[in-house]
Amino acid sequence: MFIAKLAWRNIWRNKRRSLIVILSIVVGVSASLLNDSYGVGIMNQMVDNLIKSHDSNVQIHKSGFRDNKKVNDVIPNSNRIKSILGKLNDIKGYSERVICFGLISSAANSSGVSIVGIKPELEKNVTDIYKKIIAGRYLSNGRNEIVISKKVAEKLEVEIGDKLVAVASDVNGNVSSQMFRVIGIYRSGISEYDNINIYIPLADAQEMLNLGDNIHEIAVSIEDYRKSSELKDKILTEFNKNDIVKDIYEVKTFQEIMPMMIAFLDVYHQMSYVIYLIIGIAVLFGVVNTMLMTVMERINEFGVIMSIGIRRGKLLRMIMYESLFMGLLGTIIGFIVGLLIYYPMSVNGVDMSQFSESMASFGLPNQIYPELNMNVVINTLLIIPLVTVIAGIFPAIKATRLQPSEAVRFV
Amino acid sequence: MEILRVENLTKEYSSNGVSVRALFDINLKFEQGEFTVIAGPSGSGKTTLLNIIGTLDKPSFGKVYFLGEELSKKSKSELSDLRLNKIGFIFQAYNLIPVLTNLENIEFPLMLLGMSAKDRKERAMRIMEELNIAELANKRPNSVSGGQQQRVAVARAIVHSPILVLADEPTANLDSKSASSLLDLMEKMNAEKNITFIFSSHDNNVIDRAKRLILLRDGIVIQDENK
Repeated sequence: MFIAKLAWRNIWRNKRRSLIVILSIVVGVSASLLNDSYGVGIMNQMVDNLIKSHDSNVQIHKSGFRDNKKVNDVIPNSNRIKSILGKLNDIKGYSERVICFGLISSAANSSGVSIVGIKPELEKNVTDIYKKIIAGRYLSNGRNEIVISKKVAEKLEVEIGDKLVAVASDVNGNVSSQMFRVIGIYRSGISEYDNINIYIPLADAQEMLNLGDNIHEIAVSIEDYRKSSELKDKILTEFNKNDIVKDIYEVKTFQEIMPMMIAFLDVYHQMSYVIYLIIGIAVLFGVVNTMLMTVMERINEFGVIMSIGIRRGKLLRMIMYESLFMGLLGTIIGFIVGLLIYYPMSVNGVDMSQFSESMASFGLPNQIYPELNMNVVINTLLIIPLVTVIAGIFPAIKATRLQPSEAVRFV
Repeated sequence: MEILRVENLTKEYSSNGVSVRALFDINLKFEQGEFTVIAGPSGSGKTTLLNIIGTLDKPSFGKVYFLGEELSKKSKSELSDLRLNKIGFIFQAYNLIPVLTNLENIEFPLMLLGMSAKDRKERAMRIMEELNIAELANKRPNSVSGGQQQRVAVARAIVHSPILVLADEPTANLDSKSASSLLDLMEKMNAEKNITFIFSSHDNNVIDRAKRLILLRDGIVIQDENK
């Protein structure tokens, strides 16, 4: 305690110098907090946006469907699968889908699209396309309605109420076409989806493709996307219990559906550590420099306390306490400053609309809401104090290596 | 009782490849309760001898025995413990820790000894009262006079009841009145507590008070007499 008290007072011997170091730590810590919380916000919003725009947490298909998307690869015994899903308490909902590639044409133009047949009310449990309608309305229970993205609408030069013709190969390999009326235009904010996904009623899709009541995909959603793998395991366990041959199905989590995006998130995660490293190195050099000056200025004093009989370990601790205290003080203030900046940003979001095109290509909305999680808090509160302790080691060792008889005469 | 003995002590320093002999073949014995002054002109080796006796430095040749134990085989930690338990130091420039109060400066050796906060405070205050500096307890060293600072330094040197106090030119920075008062105090401690004092000094006021005078010149003892 005495040594700690002495170390604390030593910090304030040269107030200006210590304050500059503490200020650099404050800036480093608050910048780390903001950078990390912004990164977490981006990652969570990106995943959330992708899941809620189309992909859902877990998808069930006939085995091989995701690779080839053959029209006749329908889910065997889909009613039995739906009945199993209906008994799972922890899912938010599921949606039945028919998916095929086709051509959609207006009077002015044509476009290759992914035609997604859905039951509008069930789809609301899984995706929030219904919230992203920017003109017209979402699908109802009516027939021959179509919801297209703003990009497709612009390409086809159509508006609400205009007619479109969808053409696709049916289950027998025959070309099938059907006319639809545009009742809604959406904008998901994800280029990949906006360029290709169009939504029609499930019954229309089944009729057009001659599928009967068969479907290609069951998209399942849960509240917490981090539990997607658990959900997959649960579904497979239920398959086992119900004697369903697993191999004829593919049950995929969103991580498996979007491996590139997950890899991108991993890279982003690693990048945040690189930023910690850069900030840490800057703080390290600042503290080492200050502590070295402190040691050089107090050689005589160290000589005196060594003469009195301080053990080298205690002297080492005293000097490291000094750097630790500066680190802790800077970290606490920096954390508070960071929180004060973070809070309004987390409520109002950070407007990134000037980068909307590139944001959309990564599945990101224009408004980013930074998020604090326990990892961010722990990283921010631990890394810089740890760095300052490390920074104190070299000057402290230098002090303990002083020869007491020479140090005591040092002026 | 013999507390300290040096045998054939030689100390050489190397400076720019040139060997400089600071002490040569010193043989001395010190008994408990001595009030000894090591005198001599500047550069005669007084401080070097005091440093070696005080285990702050090592001899190039020869041996030092403290309470019968030879010191050259002791580790740095053992020497630190020896200083902490048995030796007190008083320096010419007082060398108090400026960020601590006078009371905390005196508590410092007791803290290193692991004494509880309450006990060390009581003990430090008792010493301050004995030395008539109790009113300085909560002041910082730089807010009191040089003489008062040196009294605090004396209190720090004796608070842990050492056998030996080494004082390197303790009066050099004091006016004659403060110096005389300080010497009175140390004589009192020597008489009452039987603490052995070894001074280095070329101040005649100190030399006059010595019970034993060791005169050094060019690193050699040229006179060693009890007065």
